[in-house]
Amino acid sequence: MATEPQTAAGQRPVEALAAKLRRRQVVGSRETALETVLVLRQVVTKARFQNINQLVEIIRSVGQKLIEAQPKEHTVGNTVRKLLHHVREEYNNASKGEATTSASSFSIANFVLQGQPRRQAAGQKAESTLVLKEDDSDDPDSFARTLKPVVMEAIQDILDELETVYDNIAKSAKDHIHSDEIILTIGRSKTVETYLKSAAHYHKFTVIVVESGPSYGGHDMACSLSSSGVSTFLVPDSSIYALMSRVSKVILGAHTILANGGMFAVTGSVLTATAARAHSTPVMVCAGQFKLTPLWNLYHEYGALDFADPGSVLGFEECDLVDKVDVVNPYYDYVRPDLVDVYVTNDGDHPPPSIYRLVKESYDDEDNEF
Amino acid sequence: MNTLYSNSTVVPSGNANPINDHDDAGERGFDVYRAYQRALADEDISPPLAAIHSLTELVTSSNAGTMFELVRALNDGAETLKKRVPNPIGLTAGCELFIGFVTLFPHESASFSELKREIVHQGKSYTSQAIKFRTKIAELALGFIKDDSVILTHSYSRVVTQALLHAHTRKRISVYVTEARPRGLGLKTYGLLTAAGIPCTVVLDSAVAYVMDQVDFVLVGSEAVVESGGLINAVGSNQMAIIAKAENKPFYALAESYKFHRLFPLSQHDLPTHNSGILSFPHSMNRSATTQTRASPRLTDDVPDGSASASLPQRTMTLEQMNRNPDVDYTRPDLISLVFSDVGVLTPEGVSQYLVGMFAGL
Repeated sequence: MATEPQTAAGQRPVEALAAKLRRRQVVGSRETALETVLVLRQVVTKARFQNINQLVEIIRSVGQKLIEAQPKEHTVGNTVRKLLHHVREEYNNASKGEATTSASSFSIANFVLQGQPRRQAAGQKAESTLVLKEDDSDDPDSFARTLKPVVMEAIQDILDELETVYDNIAKSAKDHIHSDEIILTIGRSKTVETYLKSAAHYHKFTVIVVESGPSYGGHDMACSLSSSGVSTFLVPDSSIYALMSRVSKVILGAHTILANGGMFAVTGSVLTATAARAHSTPVMVCAGQFKLTPLWNLYHEYGALDFADPGSVLGFEECDLVDKVDVVNPYYDYVRPDLVDVYVTNDGDHPPPSIYRLVKESYDDEDNEF
Repeated sequence: MNTLYSNSTVVPSGNANPINDHDDAGERGFDVYRAYQRALADEDISPPLAAIHSLTELVTSSNAGTMFELVRALNDGAETLKKRVPNPIGLTAGCELFIGFVTLFPHESASFSELKREIVHQGKSYTSQAIKFRTKIAELALGFIKDDSVILTHSYSRVVTQALLHAHTRKRISVYVTEARPRGLGLKTYGLLTAAGIPCTVVLDSAVAYVMDQVDFVLVGSEAVVESGGLINAVGSNQMAIIAKAENKPFYALAESYKFHRLFPLSQHDLPTHNSGILSFPHSMNRSATTQTRASPRLTDDVPDGSASASLPQRTMTLEQMNRNPDVDYTRPDLISLVFSDVGVLTPEGVSQYLVGMFAGL
């Protein structure tokens, strides 16, 4: 009766997004997250399931498929994890009535787990009125019928969060940036851009944008900022250190925030953060919660997460050289947690050491690996 | 080498010699200390678990009729254990966990004896469960060990050894282990790892800085992980962490969750094992006569005269000099990269959160 997970993953929207991810037609952490939510919504709408395990399996299989297609876009996995977390939460809320906490569930091992990070009572909704009947043979759809609206609501919540993420992060901008400050940022990050523009409503300050070669995202960033009236300088990457002594704050964007408090960010970020450390300049990172990833940086210290087209470093017009040298164009840097002072997210400001807690609160441990 | 230490300690964590003679018969004929020793005799049982085990037995034999009496009996039992063991840190963590658990245990049973039976059952099932924690930690640690890693470890720790042996089945690793004077337990690790075919070399405690630039990361066990997120472990761990920090090498600690200890030491002096005798300077001549201290015990350049150390080779400390040295030291949380525990991979800050959560209801 129920949709086989394999077929769920094989559905057209899933296949289409997987192909787009593979071909790099959808890039960027927010874009991919948005696309993933939309696909999940379609899948859940059509899905047929009789119990929670089937539903979880369907969502997981979609996640697996998409992650396989593009393992470097971590927000895809994060979005799926988040949905699974919400589904389980709704399910547990609804079925709470039956399984009361009895002494048998109170063991020393659970006692230790009382210290586990969890969402505070804010997430607790008023007493759920759902009556869930699992594996009802008379009416196989009854479970899906009752749970689906709640799941759709959860999906809508995730979608809303993604859509409002920039504005929510930017809310605190006026408190973090003060008049006459000199802010340094690198490359183009939509989050940082919105953040700076929002702060510009309240204060007059100067932004130094580092161009971040060879992608030169800084050029767009500088144009966008200056067109909205922020006093902006565009500087080459090589002058980061020289300028740092004048800078009062460094604001960076992130591609992915890792559980250890480190992050992947556009190339040049490590250079900037290290220069900032040498001058004891505070480093702030603006990022949405959907970028939190339950991964520990293991061995990315030297290499990049992803490599971009080497043609922008050394083109084929230099044909004599192309044969003789290896050209790499790493796209991301790994920034160690001790180089970052604070993460400004849509869920408040957090120091790097407490990122792992946010990660544990947002996702279930069993979903860390698909 | 081994003969040098074989007489000093028998039980792995050094809680062997009952220094205090005073004999508390314990709860009505039940000797909690003997139960503790019995539990420790099992090579796989560490002090916190042995403490939980012995307290569980105490509940069985206790004839307390109310919760208040039971908790008082448990507290007394824990006190007795702490007094009779030279290094009570690990044990205290176990006692705290069990007593905290009993205090918050829901009173749903029909009678008090029923409740006690339930508590005993919980205690027993936990100790049998907890044995498997090391397997889980070994599995977690495996993700952090890449092929061809060079790992530095300190002294002997069951969980570290298990993690390394487990990693050896899947990855190529080589291990440096410190000798860990004065008990030389590093040689035990060396023996176990070499027997399993892991390339392993013993390093002098004083050569840690020398070897640090060749290692990928440091992996140590722990006696307890405290509320600040810091670590209490065999002496030498602190300097190892400081050197690792100086060389920017990750310093990982492995700790089962029953080693989380509600203690907030600010310096070495705050450790429960610290006493005024540790690293004290010799008293003036006339007072030292009573304590049998030689005139300049810190400079035994020549062959030590017979008495306590006849079997010791030249240029080693006398037993008395060793006794003036600490067994364990405290490593600050900012030196520790991550704590691997059966409840997951935690940052040092995460440990304090667990502790606060566990004991919030008390």
